[in-house]
Amino acid sequence: MLRVLHNTNIDFIRLWRISTAFSLLVILPGLIWILVSGFHYSIEFTGGTLKRIEFRDPAPGVGDVRAALAAGGLPQVEIQTFGSPNELIMRAQDPETVALQDRGAEVVSRQITAALDAKFGADAYEVRSTEGVGPKVGSELRRNALIALAIAFLTTLIYLAWRFEWRFGLAAVLATIHDILATLAFMKYMNIEISLFVVGALLTVIGYSLNDTVVVFDRVRENLKKFPKTGLYDILNRSVNETIPRTVLTGSTTLATLLSLIIFGGSVIRPFAWVLLWGIIIGTFSSVYVASPLLLWINHKWPRHSAAVGRADRLAQATRKTERDRSVPAR
Amino acid sequence: MKLKHRIAIILALVAGSLWTLYPRTVVERVKRDGVFHYDTVQRVPLKRGLDLVGGIHMALEIDESKVVVPDKAAALTNALTVLRNRVDEFGVAEPVVQQVGNERIIVELPGIDDPVRAQDIVQKSAFLEFQITDETDALTKALPRLDGIIKSRGLGLAPGARADTATSSPAAGLGSLLQRDTSDTARVAADTGARDTAAATTGGPGALSRLLQAGTIPGEFMVAAENVGAIEHYLSLPEIQAALPPGKVVRWSSDSTVIANSVYRPLYVLDARPIITGQYIQDAQPNQDPLEGTLVTFELNNEGGRQFRRETGRHIQDYMAIVLDQRVMGRPPVIQGAIGTRGQITMGGQDLAAAQDLALVLRAGALPVPLKIVESGTIGASLGQDAVEQGVRAGILGLALVILIMVVYYKLSGVFAVGGLVVYALITLAVLAQFGAVLTLPGLAGFVLSIGMALDANFLIFERTREEMDAGKTSRAAIDEGFEHAWSAIIDTHVTTALTAAILYQFGTGPVQGFAVALLAGIAASLVSAIFVVRTFFLIWLHRTGGTKPVSI
Repeated sequence: MLRVLHNTNIDFIRLWRISTAFSLLVILPGLIWILVSGFHYSIEFTGGTLKRIEFRDPAPGVGDVRAALAAGGLPQVEIQTFGSPNELIMRAQDPETVALQDRGAEVVSRQITAALDAKFGADAYEVRSTEGVGPKVGSELRRNALIALAIAFLTTLIYLAWRFEWRFGLAAVLATIHDILATLAFMKYMNIEISLFVVGALLTVIGYSLNDTVVVFDRVRENLKKFPKTGLYDILNRSVNETIPRTVLTGSTTLATLLSLIIFGGSVIRPFAWVLLWGIIIGTFSSVYVASPLLLWINHKWPRHSAAVGRADRLAQATRKTERDRSVPAR
Repeated sequence: MKLKHRIAIILALVAGSLWTLYPRTVVERVKRDGVFHYDTVQRVPLKRGLDLVGGIHMALEIDESKVVVPDKAAALTNALTVLRNRVDEFGVAEPVVQQVGNERIIVELPGIDDPVRAQDIVQKSAFLEFQITDETDALTKALPRLDGIIKSRGLGLAPGARADTATSSPAAGLGSLLQRDTSDTARVAADTGARDTAAATTGGPGALSRLLQAGTIPGEFMVAAENVGAIEHYLSLPEIQAALPPGKVVRWSSDSTVIANSVYRPLYVLDARPIITGQYIQDAQPNQDPLEGTLVTFELNNEGGRQFRRETGRHIQDYMAIVLDQRVMGRPPVIQGAIGTRGQITMGGQDLAAAQDLALVLRAGALPVPLKIVESGTIGASLGQDAVEQGVRAGILGLALVILIMVVYYKLSGVFAVGGLVVYALITLAVLAQFGAVLTLPGLAGFVLSIGMALDANFLIFERTREEMDAGKTSRAAIDEGFEHAWSAIIDTHVTTALTAAILYQFGTGPVQGFAVALLAGIAASLVSAIFVVRTFFLIWLHRTGGTKPVSI
């Protein structure tokens, strides 16, 4: 039988100082940087025009293209090569251009085409994709993304509160906030543009990170019943150790699929996959090193209905219900 | 449940999924070279999104900067019907025209790569009116008054007029023309402004009448090309609009004419009441005539024909302007006698494609309200092809890695898990096909990602089973315990993921929704596969071995 991390007995909780220091080291500089210079938002959120074109050989230089657009009255368009020197991405995202698109999202794209046609001729290039977003749609999406994040957070909170005791729920939510902050910091470090797709990745990270924490806490709940005399500290360590093979295996298969997405998934998928990759690493880390110490701390801080006291009641209930519990899978 | 029944259910699931995914023969109505073809194609019934096949998508809203719409909901419903007709006439396979929310219509045209043409088709109002040109010299009589208004209120062109004229110009939508238009107008503005001052001091002819020359038919005026902007500006002023002769409207011609080496744009004064509108059009076809060039012939229905005959009979020897979207098409012809159900619209110098598109929008009906594109995108077919290849390659690599991990790590149980994964993939795709979900690139990503997550349930079960075996339980007992104890964690993880996916679906748009749907289908399939299918594999194994051997896990 091949096994990873079998029968470990690592005192994970003891390492909380180191893990906290690590978390702060990752999160704080990123947060400060975000507060200072903000994020880079995609045109979906700001409005604007994004055009991807491929020149036939010989491809003009970026400077020529810039000059052509400037001559067409579009000096503010950002131009980058993409992959090969023949492929260009043009992005018009400044407030003036966006305001122009209030009249119609296609206006700027047509202006770009006209400017390029005038200089290079319509046959010199092929438009691979165009995206024009009017300012109204942009602000709408911004609002929707925020609402989605907030609701995702609230519903999972409510679900956890219903499934677990509130201390567990609070610890899981705090751990998830940790993951979100760490992922945001990562996005800032990697200069990943915030698009709708990346917000989707962020929501998936929330779900995944909660999963991990829930699996550990599920085991904590079970062990609290099983070993009524053991303290929470040892129970937590025991539960983390028992679930660590699953944590590592799920993490690694998900990472394997994400790696294949990063390698082969192409430019649209890649930022999304990077955010998820990091989110899953940090989610796995936090379910071991953040959620459990937090639970211990919360339990220490509000000990009145602590596990030690509550356990006696639950144990009494559990013994009464043992028969039923064994025949019906635990709720 | 008996083992036999379990196996039967799994076989039924697999067979049902395969049946759902089996390539079907469908007939597609596609337009090629202006003619509809009915193509029979074999296809897996999984709809692919625009990002995979290439095409154009647009989101449209009522343009309230142009009109005040009292009942937006009704107007949008009407617009939706008209757009459906037009897109249907456009002839693309599997188009999407649907309303989202309260005020937006989305249009998706797979396989189309000419955004300008597509945007024109959905945006053109196609409001056709037949109006008699003014016989009473109403504008000429009103001109001194209009000149007076301009003079007394100091409405001569000021530098600030630039923006006004640019927006009122119908060419404003065309970015390329916009630039030129604006500069032209500015030049005219500076020009006329200077002359205005001169006129005011020297007491010359009025600002407006100076720019107009009477044409050769009643109600026609010729405007030199360089003065078009100035006239447009004057006519857009509220003071002037209020003072225009009542019961008349002023409309530009769609083309310019050349008289004695200078370019003129005709301006027509028309009776405001149309003798008939385009709502009675029953058919319209593009045509080419050696003398008149490109034209569109149309046919009215019986009711329209009666009205047309009656009205034209009343206006014999008058001139009738054919006005499309407030532009007079061609030169108004004189009415020789009562006209019945047939007529034609000359298109001037425009090409046959333009005539085809005009015939199309006339057949499909006029848009009740002007629409504005609030979001639009074009994806080239080559890009879509790349995306499919990338998605498939990523999927295969991901799958291979996952299978490797499972089989190396869990041996026979790993093989069971992989078997469960196959069922999982089949069910997921079948569910997507069944609900008509659209497979997008993010959807593919969601599918690949959920493969990794689908195995989570297996890990929970297998690891638990190992623990139970370490505790000295028999294979059968250990497997039972493994499934039983992992259940609560499996449910929790699936529910939390399903919740986020549902929220993504609710608040996301197109691509993100594709991702959410794939994730949701994956979660459901993963539950079935891990809890039911993989367990059945174990039961078969236990049945075969009698449960005496330690399970290979």
